[in-house]
Amino acid sequence: MVDEKQLRDAVKKTVGRKDVKYVVGYDKGTTGFQAAPTFAYDEKDAEKFVFNPTCVNNLAVYPMLEDKPPLRRDEEPDTRKIGIVLKGCDSRAIVQIIQEKGLKREDVVIIGIPCTGVVDVKKLKAKFPGQHKSVEVKDDNDKFAITVDGKTQKISKDELMPEKCKECEYPTPIIHDILIGKEIKGTKKPDYKEIVTLEKKSLDEKWKDWEKEFDKCIRCYACRNACPMCYCKECMVELLDPQWVRRSVNLSENTAWNLLRAFHLAGRCVGCGECERACPMDIPLMKLNKKITKDIQELYDYKAGIDAEAKPLLAMFKPDDPEEFIL
Amino acid sequence: MKEKFEPNIIGFLCNWCSYAGADLAGTSRIQYPPNLKVIRVMCSGRVNPIFVINALQQGADGVLIGGCHPGDCHYERGNYLARRRMAVLKNLLEYTGIDSRRVRMTWVSAAEGNKFAEVVKEVTEDVRKLGPMQHFRRENKW
Repeated sequence: MVDEKQLRDAVKKTVGRKDVKYVVGYDKGTTGFQAAPTFAYDEKDAEKFVFNPTCVNNLAVYPMLEDKPPLRRDEEPDTRKIGIVLKGCDSRAIVQIIQEKGLKREDVVIIGIPCTGVVDVKKLKAKFPGQHKSVEVKDDNDKFAITVDGKTQKISKDELMPEKCKECEYPTPIIHDILIGKEIKGTKKPDYKEIVTLEKKSLDEKWKDWEKEFDKCIRCYACRNACPMCYCKECMVELLDPQWVRRSVNLSENTAWNLLRAFHLAGRCVGCGECERACPMDIPLMKLNKKITKDIQELYDYKAGIDAEAKPLLAMFKPDDPEEFIL
Repeated sequence: MKEKFEPNIIGFLCNWCSYAGADLAGTSRIQYPPNLKVIRVMCSGRVNPIFVINALQQGADGVLIGGCHPGDCHYERGNYLARRRMAVLKNLLEYTGIDSRRVRMTWVSAAEGNKFAEVVKEVTEDVRKLGPMQHFRRENKW
């Protein structure tokens, strides 16, 4: 359970600092099913900040989304910091961005929250269909206490948590300036069982499965926009010259887009699951990302988003990297 | 009469080693299958996985990437970087159900005309057995 008063005080203190522009955090949202990202520009705004298991969004996207228009003559660049409220998994994204020199460590003030698991909003909405006046989700040890229109119900976490929380290795943010509450030690480890069973299928079966998934894609690029690691100023799918991926929505282009998106996250994906959550067509994108995460761990003993000083995976090499596949 | 399937293979050969190796195979009159269409790149590290996927989209049945032997790269590290990229890409293709033998990588030095011919023969035979690439070919309809 996170002490919300402590969180609000921390936000107030941070936003009150002269060198902080604003703080990004969560507010209750319109329905209560899902918290919405919100901004605090002054101490008054800090009152609306909350933290509960519906705070699923990865706020690490926000510092990268900021518009930086060209400066006018004699205008000084705004070098003020941005405060972010981060869970354990989200903090790995910031570490990875710092490793890639997308941000400097001193550009952000991190309010870290040791997280005991969030809900999968799709599963929660399926459990409580229809419209509800008020929804409140609370953490209650190994259960979620969900209050819908006044009636409280306790549902086990296993049932409602997304996959990423079931195998969360870093519940406490890796880097933080302020920590709300006590540190939690990560006890779980990803086992990649699902990936291994998928790997063992025959080629035809695998393609049949993925063909169905890629065929669903409507190429809205929500996966890219929700991803904290996809922050290129110009994405390769929007290039017109050379146009690598055409804009038409068909199996060929969809496959190219989904494979290339997964590849561009090789050695960078921190497994926050935002792409899958944002996908309106429910394509299991994390299965692609996790496969690569598993591969690079086996091949190169590398994990993304742990060490801001390490070199990016695909920008370094070892002379004895595995090369059985080379003729 | 059923026509025999002739695979289309795109070869990205590095300017300093593999391309010179292919040149040597030619000047030494060594025979190798004509299915390989060569594109010269300055280094195997120049080969973006986007090239490979785009080639497979546009009608290639296989892709061969040729670089210098490890340690011999003209740019010191290009082939090492390419090796990592292609290892990840091949695993990803295999995982989505595309036979990873369609994408091959090889080290050929400028003195290995014979090896180059052998590699091209092997890749062509492999791809011939796999048959045409029909998974996500781009259909040009307009």
